[in-house]
Amino acid sequence: MPRPEENIITLTVDGRDIQAVDGAMLVDAAAGGDIEIPVFCYEPKLGGPVGACRMCLVEIEGIPKLQTACSTPVKDGMVVHTQTDRVKEAQNSVVEFILLNHPLDCPVCDKGGECPLQDVSFGYGRGVSRFTEPKRHFVKPLALSPLIAIDRERCILCYRCVRFSQEISEDHQLVLLERGAATFVSTFDGHPYVAPFSGNIIELCPVGALTSRAYRFRARPWDIEGSGTVCNLCPAQCNVTLTVRDDRVLRVLARDNEGVDDGWLCDKGRFAYQATHSDERITQPLVRDGDRLRPATWERAIQVASGVARHDGAVGAIVGGETTNEEALLLGNYLRNTLGSNDIDSRDGGALSAGLLRALADPKIQATVPDLEYAHTVLLLDVDPVDDAPVLDLRIRKGARRNDMQVLVASSRPTALDPRAAQAVRHAPGSAASMVLALDAALNGDGAAGTHAANAGADGAEVRALVEALEQSGEDIVIVVGERVTDGPAGEAAGQALLRIAAKLGLGERDGAGILEIPRGTNGRGLREVGAVPTAGPGLADLATAGRSSTEIATAAAAGDITALWLVHTDPVRDSQNKDLWIKAIAKAGLVIAHASTLSPELAEHANVVFPAESGAEREGTITHPDGRVQRLRKAIGAPEQVKPAGAVIARIAEIGSSVDLGASVGPAATEAVARAVPFYEHLTAEEIGGRGIRWQEREAAANLQPGSSTGETVAPQPAASPNGALRLGTFRSIWASPEVEISPALKFLSRTPSAELSPEDAQRLGVTNGNSVEVAGVSATARIRSDVPTGNVFIESGVAGGASLPADGELVEVKPR
Amino acid sequence: MGKIDELDIIEVQRAPSPSTGASFFRAFRETGRGLATTFKQLFQKPLTMQYPEEKTPVYPRFRGRHKLHKFEDSDLEKCVGCSLCAAACPADCIRVVAAENDPDNRVSAGERYAAVYEINMSRCIFCGYCEVACPFDAITMGHDYELSDFNRSDLIFTKEMLLADPIERTPLRNEDE
Repeated sequence: MPRPEENIITLTVDGRDIQAVDGAMLVDAAAGGDIEIPVFCYEPKLGGPVGACRMCLVEIEGIPKLQTACSTPVKDGMVVHTQTDRVKEAQNSVVEFILLNHPLDCPVCDKGGECPLQDVSFGYGRGVSRFTEPKRHFVKPLALSPLIAIDRERCILCYRCVRFSQEISEDHQLVLLERGAATFVSTFDGHPYVAPFSGNIIELCPVGALTSRAYRFRARPWDIEGSGTVCNLCPAQCNVTLTVRDDRVLRVLARDNEGVDDGWLCDKGRFAYQATHSDERITQPLVRDGDRLRPATWERAIQVASGVARHDGAVGAIVGGETTNEEALLLGNYLRNTLGSNDIDSRDGGALSAGLLRALADPKIQATVPDLEYAHTVLLLDVDPVDDAPVLDLRIRKGARRNDMQVLVASSRPTALDPRAAQAVRHAPGSAASMVLALDAALNGDGAAGTHAANAGADGAEVRALVEALEQSGEDIVIVVGERVTDGPAGEAAGQALLRIAAKLGLGERDGAGILEIPRGTNGRGLREVGAVPTAGPGLADLATAGRSSTEIATAAAAGDITALWLVHTDPVRDSQNKDLWIKAIAKAGLVIAHASTLSPELAEHANVVFPAESGAEREGTITHPDGRVQRLRKAIGAPEQVKPAGAVIARIAEIGSSVDLGASVGPAATEAVARAVPFYEHLTAEEIGGRGIRWQEREAAANLQPGSSTGETVAPQPAASPNGALRLGTFRSIWASPEVEISPALKFLSRTPSAELSPEDAQRLGVTNGNSVEVAGVSATARIRSDVPTGNVFIESGVAGGASLPADGELVEVKPR
Repeated sequence: MGKIDELDIIEVQRAPSPSTGASFFRAFRETGRGLATTFKQLFQKPLTMQYPEEKTPVYPRFRGRHKLHKFEDSDLEKCVGCSLCAAACPADCIRVVAAENDPDNRVSAGERYAAVYEINMSRCIFCGYCEVACPFDAITMGHDYELSDFNRSDLIFTKEMLLADPIERTPLRNEDE
């Protein structure tokens, strides 16, 4: 669906001529001409108007009765009056009516001071009420969920929260129960409203009926300051405003950026700020002393870490997704130029050749986030947005709901968007590469499509139907690709197939079409572009000799070839599937340096020195969104005394250990260093990035990206194993499987325990019921039976605290009830 | 120096030289008036107050040290920690941190109460805006004006100090005074 054409018309409001887009709602048109019409229920983000509150009544010439401005589209020559006596009388009456049952407990209410009802009552109300009867009473305050408190007395029944639940997040949980004056918001059977996006209703509520339990009574609007930054907890990189009081983050609000988040946040982004002030966070340098880590001075910690210089040529570095471009560049430079090692990686699934990375980064085939809303078709390739980049899930739903966008899914695990999808094709876990090859072959009418589909464990007819739907849908196609697709030895082949698909579908020729690759780490794209991958230097440049990928680094470390491991903002014992290998690696390595806020028990047992990492609110630097938007993390609060920026730590280690000056390590000068090192970021400054970020593909410097083509060795993917009693293992990482969730008091109830998703048929065969404990590949997990899981597969949650080592995706595992 | 222009020469006009009596009068008239006032005051009752033994009485609406109030019947604090006083304060000397009431062990009558309520008396300008802003009449200005101390930090009055019955050491002025 191409973006709608905008036709400008002129109308008259209060005697003033106003230009507006034809068909826009009168409220918006008037606001464009600096005329305010009060509203409660109207919120364009929620879709069509409902006209529930009647606050926006205006007089339109030619229409005898007053009209609701929020639901009246403008047309050319319309004459509107918003200041007549009739309108004022109506506004007074509506305010009086809305306040009939509203308890005037503003001094106690958290919304007081930033409350639209206060503002509108003050601006448009009569100031007195004639209502002397007792007001409606509900029990209050109640917990709508562990995160949200509901005060039904304050509710003015504007439907905003219900509309959000029904039409935006589509979890269909919130409803209005009862009728008339007794109406109230609730979930149907009174269960807690727990959903990935539930926190948004707090921000939507125009009164204090829905308030955050984490922020409850913490501060008033005049006590606080807003500080704009970017959430760095997942690749969606939503823009946020942190509410700061006394140098503590108390709340996270969305900062609407149409190009990134459309004004929504997931609950992790909204509540995991508490990890910043958690007692469990590491806030001082730790150095190994005998068999345990003990707090140490910075001098001592740096001295121990600078021993890395003695491991010349045998240093491996793993860079976690939260690392900024600046920090990764510094580390990469130190490793490559001084320590003589190319063994740096930020991906978990193996290396891709620099040529392929450049070809995939071609600005022509990049899709943007808004493209997800206006495309004809969105194809999801082994990615579940709700877990991998939550806010994109809402964007795709918006496109499907409002623009009739077609959603196609090809994935191993059922996605949250399946009910929205025109077609959902399942393939075997770990066989995404075969699936892409099958799609490519089917698009080209190649006879191999059937073989590839069989290799992927998918139904050939379904794949052909998917391709047919893809071809017939229209030109604007966005392919959302999960990082799993290019995982493993067949990753290179999958990447090439992806490029062929893009070429065949002509994605490069249209603005609204392209590929959107969702990395696992927050800044996965930026880390790759500044050279934190073994095959490419800064700017995706070719390297003389490629380094080792993360798994190879672990293997080499376990074998003793790599003697020093540098883990920046990552805990591979937790993040990696092959835990045992990593435990061996860190146990064997002579020096393990970690930058971390929390440690897994294994890393705590083997790390030699741990530097406390800055939290998102304390960090400064740039990160790159999966669609190429370079965004700025800005410091909202001061870090605890003993916490220093990772960039400064790396630079200091280089200075002490190797007597090398790495140049600027923090601040705008470090950003400039990134702009100098990466040709397609040329001359990029913090000012240019600004508050909204800028896509590097839209700058002139984008031409500096050298064209590339895959030079790597292509390995044909292994055919999917056929389940013969044993089940194929798949993994997924839920948005809640992160240490930030576990150490945030508000989110703790969502922290995950190892679970195994089974199909009902397999469960019955194995004699397992929902909630039973099962043993998968020697690991115990709680069984969850889902009807949409294809038979023959078992999906284990990864990234969970206390999870155990697992074989690779797609391997056969025994599942036994315990 | 050139030749002086004839037009530049101005003849100075002087007053007639005064007589001795007149100049004496001119020099000491005002002094005499002042001394007369002084001598008159010598026979008046002195106005000096023997502070701190004696204190100036204040008017009933005098704005002195603040007081926080409790309900007399239930002994619950009137303050709900709404922070409106802090918002109204032009000197920015009030700090309020609110918390949620435990229903079994209430501190205030509402849902919230002030966990921290501090007034920095060294910054306060005693304008009384906090009293005006308070929706629950929880804070009022008292009569005490003796607020000096040896330590700046002792001048930050906590909630307990403000809630405690103040020592009424300042006399009130009577109606006719």
